[in-house]
Amino acid sequence: MEKKSVKLTRRQFLKVSAAAGVLVGTAGTASFIHKAEAAPKEVGPNISSVRTTCSPNCTGACGMKALVEDGQIKSIIQAADYPEPEYNPRGCLKGLSMTNLIYGPDRLKTPLILKGKPGSGDFKEASWNESLDFTAGRLKEIADKYGPESIGVLFQVGGTGYVQKGAVSRLATLAGWTMHHAYDQNGDLPMFWPMTFGVQSEELEPREWLNTRYVMVFGSNILATRIPDAHFLLEARNNGAKIMVFDPNFSPTAAKADEWVPIKASSDAAVGLGMARVLIEEKLYDSEFIKTFTDLPLLVRVDNGKRLKADEVKSLVKPADIPAYREAYVAYNGQFIAVHPEKLDLPSDVMIEGDVEVSLKTGEIVNAKPAFQLLKESLADYTPEEVEKLAGIPADDLVRIAREMAGSKPLHIIYGAGNYQWYHGDLKGRALALLPVLTGNIGKPGAGISTYAGQYRIRFKVAEWWVPEGKKQNWLPFLYVLHGPTKTMKAKWPTHGIKALVIGWGNPFDQHNMANKLREMVEQEDLEFVVTTDFQMTTTCQYSHAVLPAVSWYEKTDLVATPVHPYLQLQQPAVKPIYEGQPEFWIIRELAKRLNPEFEKYFYPGLEPDQAAQKVIELLLKTGGPEVEGITLEQLQKGPVRLKSDVPGGRQIPFYDQVQHKKPFPPVSLPAKLEQTAQFVKSGRIEFYKDEDIMLQMGEALPVHKPPFEESEFALNPMAREKYQFSYVTRNAIYRVHSTHSNNVWMNELQEGKPRVWLSPKDGQEKGIKEGDAVEIFNDRGKVTAYAIIDPGVGVKQAVFEQGWWSRYTNGESYNTLTYPFIKPTHEIYFVPGMWAPNTAWNECLCDVRKVGDAL
Amino acid sequence: MRLGMVIDLDRCIGCRSCAVACKSHNAQPPGTWWNRVFTPGSSFHQAAVGKDGGLQMEALPVSCQMCDNAPCQKVCPTGATYTDERGVVLIDYERCIGCRYCMAACPYGVRQFNWEDAKEVKARVGYEAGYEYGYPVDFRDKDGRLVFTPNRPAGVVEKCTFCAQYLAEGELPACIRGCPGKVRTFGDLDDPNSEVSKLIRKRQTVRLKEELGTSPKVYYIAPAKPIRLEVD
Repeated sequence: MEKKSVKLTRRQFLKVSAAAGVLVGTAGTASFIHKAEAAPKEVGPNISSVRTTCSPNCTGACGMKALVEDGQIKSIIQAADYPEPEYNPRGCLKGLSMTNLIYGPDRLKTPLILKGKPGSGDFKEASWNESLDFTAGRLKEIADKYGPESIGVLFQVGGTGYVQKGAVSRLATLAGWTMHHAYDQNGDLPMFWPMTFGVQSEELEPREWLNTRYVMVFGSNILATRIPDAHFLLEARNNGAKIMVFDPNFSPTAAKADEWVPIKASSDAAVGLGMARVLIEEKLYDSEFIKTFTDLPLLVRVDNGKRLKADEVKSLVKPADIPAYREAYVAYNGQFIAVHPEKLDLPSDVMIEGDVEVSLKTGEIVNAKPAFQLLKESLADYTPEEVEKLAGIPADDLVRIAREMAGSKPLHIIYGAGNYQWYHGDLKGRALALLPVLTGNIGKPGAGISTYAGQYRIRFKVAEWWVPEGKKQNWLPFLYVLHGPTKTMKAKWPTHGIKALVIGWGNPFDQHNMANKLREMVEQEDLEFVVTTDFQMTTTCQYSHAVLPAVSWYEKTDLVATPVHPYLQLQQPAVKPIYEGQPEFWIIRELAKRLNPEFEKYFYPGLEPDQAAQKVIELLLKTGGPEVEGITLEQLQKGPVRLKSDVPGGRQIPFYDQVQHKKPFPPVSLPAKLEQTAQFVKSGRIEFYKDEDIMLQMGEALPVHKPPFEESEFALNPMAREKYQFSYVTRNAIYRVHSTHSNNVWMNELQEGKPRVWLSPKDGQEKGIKEGDAVEIFNDRGKVTAYAIIDPGVGVKQAVFEQGWWSRYTNGESYNTLTYPFIKPTHEIYFVPGMWAPNTAWNECLCDVRKVGDAL
Repeated sequence: MRLGMVIDLDRCIGCRSCAVACKSHNAQPPGTWWNRVFTPGSSFHQAAVGKDGGLQMEALPVSCQMCDNAPCQKVCPTGATYTDERGVVLIDYERCIGCRYCMAACPYGVRQFNWEDAKEVKARVGYEAGYEYGYPVDFRDKDGRLVFTPNRPAGVVEKCTFCAQYLAEGELPACIRGCPGKVRTFGDLDDPNSEVSKLIRKRQTVRLKEELGTSPKVYYIAPAKPIRLEVD
């Protein structure tokens, strides 16, 4: 590409600029107020700016403006055009340096077909026709041999691009392939949500943080992982909210908090339960709230641990108007009450403590207790002294914080992935959810519990585009691909397993190859074919049989709306596709027609990809339901538009409708139908007592603390207890969005291009490791080398690795070779894709460290 | 008029977005950073400082301090470094002879030298042929001095200009527009009604190495946590 040189004398420049009406004058400071604009605006000779939306897998969805000259993006800056100034200027260092990826040396230039062994990098360049014919041919062969359900599809997070990712879903549905939901694949699905509230996940929009008085952050590093929203946390603090950070490590977020409470790894449940005990013992709970909105007044049979159903009780009749996915349970206020699951109206004298004899229709008489009574009994174990032993939080602090919290409303709990990406992450969420629920801090401004890692919730209805003609979709949690099927799984295991992968927007061969399993599967031809669309030559491309060059989010049209940010926004092409790249929509359409000529009609044949994408956006806006009602493409072309919500002022406050209007739980989690998720909380209430058989068998009917590793690492290998005493924690650094930007030249300059392992001074000393030394982190499954940072803020016996490095920065070994695909049986009770599914537990991993090289 | 900046360290989250915005918009070659963000006292950014019970981690962005009494300007033998009528310390790339006295004189270590032709250094990254990043047009001050050019020649010193090319268009410097934490405020220190002047009056500010008499026009609001009374 030839670049026209723009060399102007000052006089010429002044003339041009003045003509464009933008020059204020070299000496002028009259206008330092940045004016946001939506339409491309001339700012100088051949320079224009295009407003688009940054959309890697951080889901920040930041509006950015590309400065374009002669068809090249010269620089990027925040668009800062949100109508609510609080949200400006949204963006971060990765987004500002996207030019390094768009024009960088790892950019894919042409389609590639693998010649040598997978991972060898031995490819031949191919034409689009050749590569598409090859890919379609191989996929057809595999579908013919093993069935189309043996082809697995990974397309990551829908909200970051409803059009292009929707095209993949559309084709996968037509072709009968199996889809893997990114939420559980990425380990981001906090299973306490479906268990407790019956939803996929919920969160306060960050602007609501300003309304909070007490913030408890468990295992979340907002300052590094939510850079565009972190200022709200500091503003809340400076407005008088107290910020409490519970974390084994002194993180940047902990440094800005009022108090940092170091706790032992994976001991958050003990802390939550200890505080819940204080709330109950000291009667600091909101009795009215828990009677109205939770299952705590519902009776549980003492003989079998099951909740008492209305149609079991002699004197009761189950109400007739109850949907099949609900159940009527029983409460007691001197008389037995059949509790209608869709009416939140128990009398205020309903019994929550004590027990009662119940005559059943069978003639038996059994003893029953309200779930609250059982909870109180269960919490008796979590005395401040006991919690101090389990979690390391001083007993006095625990009691003080519980009292403070109870007296400061609204209370908001930020429940982070550092906390829940463990085998018993679900128990921690259930335990911590007790705190806002017992104190009535749900469904109100600035109140609740939120997860900000993994933002997968679909913001509006997408079926018209994602699911052609309502056809059936096949879904399989990705953990089974690595682990193999289990006897207890509810998802359908394809007869021949997964034999091929169609991958986009992800780098699973670095990010998900637990125990190197994926690479082995390709090398041993267990996975017979892998095709990847990406705009860069990732490790995953290296292991693919066909690599189809896509484009970055500055070269295509899409629609973006993620849960963390309440705006609907367009992606608009700032430049034409670089090299031979094509938008994923085009690649999918070309594949579709080669797989089956009948499929082409589903993908707007004859329209250019950007035109077709606009048609899809119009379709989605028309059929997306109340959240996007009345929003038009023309409005979006002018700038971001806030999604609609039932909450006054359109604010994003979870469970507002449930609490303010006494609607049954759960609210709908799109794209699932209500009956799919309502079965998780059959009482129509916030549930802390789970009576499914597996919950009872595992002793998890109520939230309890279970120590890490016992049911995972030590069950797998009892020797690990002695051999591997370090926790292998893989956290996010500010320099990458998962593995995106691993190769960004400026990001690497900022950290000397080296992966790091963070160790405590005590461990450094014991292991003879100094700052800068090369350190091998290892266990029986794998190893990775990183350079030591000795940090007094790191907890002892922790090896903290900053995740996302491509293998070429770690001697070819993925940092995920150490992890293991544990499957927790309680995650298999139901299966709704990405909502109740086995979830990756990255941090449930033990290792050891040894020095392998001196600091230079 | 004296243009200056106030940086609120209490709000700064150490994300380094300002440094990257600066690098990109000012076309800095690999290895060159006009604007850096440190964790003072720590060997590595965002590693804690101190011992158990007394840990801290603060972030400190440092770029040209735009001194009223600029030592770099005093030692410059050619007049390449000068202070313009708005108090902005600038370098005329056509006058700089690369003697680097200014680098030795600057107490803040913010000046950087082009050992090689910037274009060649950038090309080594392996960008698409012909690709160049950064503001693409030369910018000269009112007297015709070249204070911004996308590729600074080998042998000249460079540093922050408060984004002279953007100021001329009435735009704020890239570090300000690029800061998601809204940490930075920019304006005329001589105007008592400007946001910067108000902040300096209202808040406790410090300037770096003030004792040297450099009189910087970059002010820092000290990081502080809210102090509350213990409530029983």
